Amino acid sequence: MTVQVPGASDAHARPKDPLLEVRDLKMHFPIRRGVFGRIVGYVKAVDGVSFEVNEGETLGLVGESGCGKTTLGRTLMRVYDPTAGEIRYRSRDGRAVDLADLTRQRLKPLRREIRMVFQDPQSSLNPRFPVRDIVAEPLKMSGRLSRRALDDRVAELLRQVGLRPETMHRYPHAFSGGERQRIGIARALATDPRLVVADEAVSALDVSVQAQILNLLARLQRDLVLTYVFVSHDLSVVEHISDRVAVMYVGRIIELAHTSALFRDPQHPYTEALLSAVPKPEPRLRGRTERIRLRGEVADPADPPPGCPFHPRCPYARENCRTDVPALREVRPAHWAACHYSEELELRGVEMPTVQPETR
Amino acid sequence: MSVSHQKLLEVRGLKSHLFTDEGVVKAVEGVDFDVPRGKTVCIVGESGCGKSMTARSLLRLLPSNGRLVEGSILLHDDAGGVRDIAAMDNRGSEIRKIRGREIAMIFQEPMTSLSPVHTVGNQIVEAVRLHFSVTVKEATERAIEALDRVGIPRPKEQMGSYTFQLSGGMRQRAMIAMALSCRPRLLIADEPTTALDVTTQANILDLIRELQEDLGMSVLFITHDLGVVAEIADEVAVMYLGKVVEKAGVDDLFHDPKHPYTRALLESIPKLGSGSKEDLETIRGSVPHPFRRPSGCPFHPRCDSFMRGLCDRIVPPPVTLEDGREVRCLLYGGTEGSDE
Repeated sequence: MTVQVPGASDAHARPKDPLLEVRDLKMHFPIRRGVFGRIVGYVKAVDGVSFEVNEGETLGLVGESGCGKTTLGRTLMRVYDPTAGEIRYRSRDGRAVDLADLTRQRLKPLRREIRMVFQDPQSSLNPRFPVRDIVAEPLKMSGRLSRRALDDRVAELLRQVGLRPETMHRYPHAFSGGERQRIGIARALATDPRLVVADEAVSALDVSVQAQILNLLARLQRDLVLTYVFVSHDLSVVEHISDRVAVMYVGRIIELAHTSALFRDPQHPYTEALLSAVPKPEPRLRGRTERIRLRGEVADPADPPPGCPFHPRCPYARENCRTDVPALREVRPAHWAACHYSEELELRGVEMPTVQPETR
Repeated sequence: MSVSHQKLLEVRGLKSHLFTDEGVVKAVEGVDFDVPRGKTVCIVGESGCGKSMTARSLLRLLPSNGRLVEGSILLHDDAGGVRDIAAMDNRGSEIRKIRGREIAMIFQEPMTSLSPVHTVGNQIVEAVRLHFSVTVKEATERAIEALDRVGIPRPKEQMGSYTFQLSGGMRQRAMIAMALSCRPRLLIADEPTTALDVTTQANILDLIRELQEDLGMSVLFITHDLGVVAEIADEVAVMYLGKVVEKAGVDDLFHDPKHPYTRALLESIPKLGSGSKEDLETIRGSVPHPFRRPSGCPFHPRCDSFMRGLCDRIVPPPVTLEDGREVRCLLYGGTEGSDE
């Protein structure tokens, strides 16, 4: 029997292989105690996650703090060595490699193809280096470019992200938050990557600047055929930028679907609750619908409850939810959910303020 | 009841500046607004607009290099008396009777107001005993009641908990319990839900709303999140670079914004459920550095309705529109104003 992998296995999918195929990925961190560092347990930050990412698409990863979305993003980058599972990546030369399993040495050339953009442009840029050195750093690693060629490339990158090339000799402190995030993006683009993992890339920005960066990311994706894994806690931002969205809860993906299907017609009670909790910028919606308010707190990933990890907070939980772990399964075409009762429940999606035709 | 009695707080011409080594930051530069009794007023704006400095000025809790330099903060009491908080000595007994008793404040980070080395119960009991002459037993009862009211389970046992034993959402609740234990007439909430997850945020917003209804207190809510504004505000003041650029009822603000900045701000947020993949509207540039305040209207370098020779020269005065709303923009008048 083969493991079913949630992907875009419908009309939207291209015939070719996905760019990234993650199978049953686990990232457990040991909890050590005492003088001898005895292992007393594991934080199961990512606990059996499977999904695919197609070339040129944006997969949004959402969830609340502690759900494992950031760890998942970092594990894809092999910042951590995964406990188990596969991260199959189709490299530029067409080879399929398992990133989970490569040695650091063999991983190195692939680091040019997979890049990361971080949340906080304040702390992810070294304040002691001018922008030129920050952006050129990943290029210097390859050591082939002359000083002049590096300058030209940095100038081109800065133009691409909407900064003036003349500013390359300034230091990060001379830039605003939005401009610093542009520098972070330029650095990620320096090696001409194919896959970009963006971890809360716009979360620290003011709303007016956030829109600029979201537009920039969309334009770069079109121009450079980039694939994004976009990690964020902000559902409005994720809905805007993603083609498909995966919702995480305590280390697992509990729902994965095309963006509009997930937001309009959620199949997991946790997704329904999340959508209901987001404050909507429309005062006339106030008091119009009954809100879903979750009791309790997110489960501890070091000690997840038995059965469905969401059952202690789920308003629809039944007896077997306490004991049986629901598998992520395709409850509708291309719509995956890890709930025993997806078909029975009538869950509420986001109320549409205005009816708009689907754009994708 | 006279008209002035409807207002709990009247802020007029408030200026608070920060004195740094590099120069003076005019963080709050002439702010006027009212907080009516029993209502929620939101101050919304981006980072550096002066919203938090405004909130802190009201309790005279500015950082050590900050000073309230001008203006009045009139606090009306039920008997018709008025006190000017701006005129008080910020270390005097007068302001200390107001802090925590008549006006309480909660913050984004609960550990700003909670002590890590005292139990939650002790902290609330002490706050109550500071402002009321009650016995320890009575104060303890009040503290338990407050913890119960904010939805902390098993409040009696939690009295003995330290803050590190509580989750983020529970700490936030404990801080709110402490703020409410003295039954303030005004609660100032400075981004109290910004660091919380959405499901926890929803619960805390519900809680603040319920408590306000039960206790009839006024709330001044500081936030950058327009979604939160739409959920809880009765009235809204939009701030930009130290000034209130628009004041309106919440429905008017979202459905008929007047100031170009308010409009641009509303258009630049992705709207949940819109399903749109189109580019977002943006506001060009970013909030200027506080030392490089633009002349005239502080928003003019980023404004699509910029009028050369006017907006870069004249500081827009507040213009009252027909329906009583107020906006600082030369599109609505005030061009006969004076140069800066």
